[in-house]
Amino acid sequence: MLGLIQYPARLLRATKRQTAALALPDRRDLETIGLHLLLVGSVLLIVFPILVAAIVSTKQTGIVTGLADLVPGGHVVENYRTVLVDYQFGRFMWNSFLMATVIVTGKLALSIFAATAIVYYDLPYKDLLFLFILFTLLLPVPVRFIPLFQLVADMGWTNSMLAITVPYLASATTVFILRQHFLSIPSSIVETAKLDGVGPLKFMAFVLLPMSKGILVGVSVIMFVFAWNQYLWPLVIINAEADQVAQVGLALLEGDVVGGEVSWSLVMAGSMLTLLPPLLLLILFRKPLLRAFVIQQK
Amino acid sequence: MSSREIYTDRRTAGLLLLPTILVSLVFLYYPAARAARRALYSSQLGLDDEFVGLENFAELLTSGGYQSRLLLTVGFAAVVVAGVMVVALLLTFLVHEVGTGKSIYLVAAIWPYALPPAVAALVFIFLVHPSLGVLSGPLATLGVDLDWFADGRQAFVVVTVAAIWKQIGYNVIFMIASMNNIPETLTETARLDGVGRLRRLLWVYVPIMTPTLFFLVILNTIYAFFGTFAFIDIMTGGGPSGATNILIFDLYQEAFDFFNWGLASAKSVVLFAIVGVLMYVQFRLTDKYSHYGA
Repeated sequence: MLGLIQYPARLLRATKRQTAALALPDRRDLETIGLHLLLVGSVLLIVFPILVAAIVSTKQTGIVTGLADLVPGGHVVENYRTVLVDYQFGRFMWNSFLMATVIVTGKLALSIFAATAIVYYDLPYKDLLFLFILFTLLLPVPVRFIPLFQLVADMGWTNSMLAITVPYLASATTVFILRQHFLSIPSSIVETAKLDGVGPLKFMAFVLLPMSKGILVGVSVIMFVFAWNQYLWPLVIINAEADQVAQVGLALLEGDVVGGEVSWSLVMAGSMLTLLPPLLLLILFRKPLLRAFVIQQK
Repeated sequence: MSSREIYTDRRTAGLLLLPTILVSLVFLYYPAARAARRALYSSQLGLDDEFVGLENFAELLTSGGYQSRLLLTVGFAAVVVAGVMVVALLLTFLVHEVGTGKSIYLVAAIWPYALPPAVAALVFIFLVHPSLGVLSGPLATLGVDLDWFADGRQAFVVVTVAAIWKQIGYNVIFMIASMNNIPETLTETARLDGVGRLRRLLWVYVPIMTPTLFFLVILNTIYAFFGTFAFIDIMTGGGPSGATNILIFDLYQEAFDFFNWGLASAKSVVLFAIVGVLMYVQFRLTDKYSHYGA
């Protein structure tokens, strides 16, 4: 049925485009070419710094005095091996990966629970509870990292995985996005579940989660990028080098370059490694990511 | 009671809410309260605390240094917000207008969202390093003598450009969603009326996108105030001679370089107030524009 309606519409649009193209071939073509040129130019400009970093990460010394020197060198394996092994980036990346995975999993579980309670339970003072969670948006890490440092240090968590994960587990944004999404699930489905006598855990596992796959992937990517890119909090609460994350590891590497100990090509190799995980996730899951953002704004 | 509220067992509901509420209380609300209380005490960590009332706040209000850092931060935020939004708006428009290859262009425009600030900072140091930078040579031929390790104004510009670069992707994500929502009929009408592309962007699209643009102004301001710490820490350390010492870096130094915890707590409270005002403005604006149904 849908196909029948769509087919003529598409046909119509195609005919319209053709007639338009026949009427003004030159101007349209020129404009299209200009548009592509502008876009390619802007995109190149945005990618340029990373291209330079990628090229320099393959060279021996990283001394590049002009644009003409921007040709890949033959030290890829050597540079990346040195950074990963000798400068502990394997370790830093693993710590970052662990931190991000724990934060994503924990936040997701806690937020699904909280959003389920808020949407599907008949509770007194529900709006107040939701406000209590939403109000934490006013308290991002930079506003409270001083007292948080004192608290976490008092708890004896310095240099531990607990310190860089647990304080992140409550997420107003994720609870908010999930609540919006749950409210958009038709109540007829919910009522059917009630008539069938489905318990809350089964309801979450077999009704809510399957109907929220896209949104869960989207918020997971948002949370992973957020966690992976944390810098300030690990910087202050982790002071043992072996427990450090990749972001701060990069700053340590820069200290070595200023001290003349390593070359810039190694710093760029470290930068490429640190960029890779969030970039890959963004490219792979861009569609659910964009959809999750649209909900967040509402 | 809405038809969605199918469960009534309060104990289960409490258990479901407990983890989020517990973490919020212990790691968000309690530290905030602790900072507010600590701000009323003097002394450095380890020495005995002496109650001084609002003295720390009085010191901040009257300190010329703090005032100029506040001003610097506001200026930095203004340039970052304006820069990001102009670049992102034009880029989004180009992606919106193009036919073939749209999704590839979109990914190429939003990827800096994933870019870690520490990476952006390091790559930028390397690009415009006064003696080694790839761009230092070409810029010198244009008459720009890069000396931002010593020149405060140049350091400010370099950090600003790096911070803008990192934030483009995030803005494009929201702008493209908003632009794609604009009814095709409006675009067609504008085209038939012979309205050029740029004028269509400025006089047709931008007014419709106002709610999203306001939302982004607030988001970008918060980013400029707080999310740029790694740039400052890695690129300039707040220098040269305080030229890039924005409030969040100043706060970090107060606590971890000077160990002035009373004053650092007072500064945390000031930052909290700034976030509060920004969020309040956003809340009111969202309310005001919600009837557009955007």
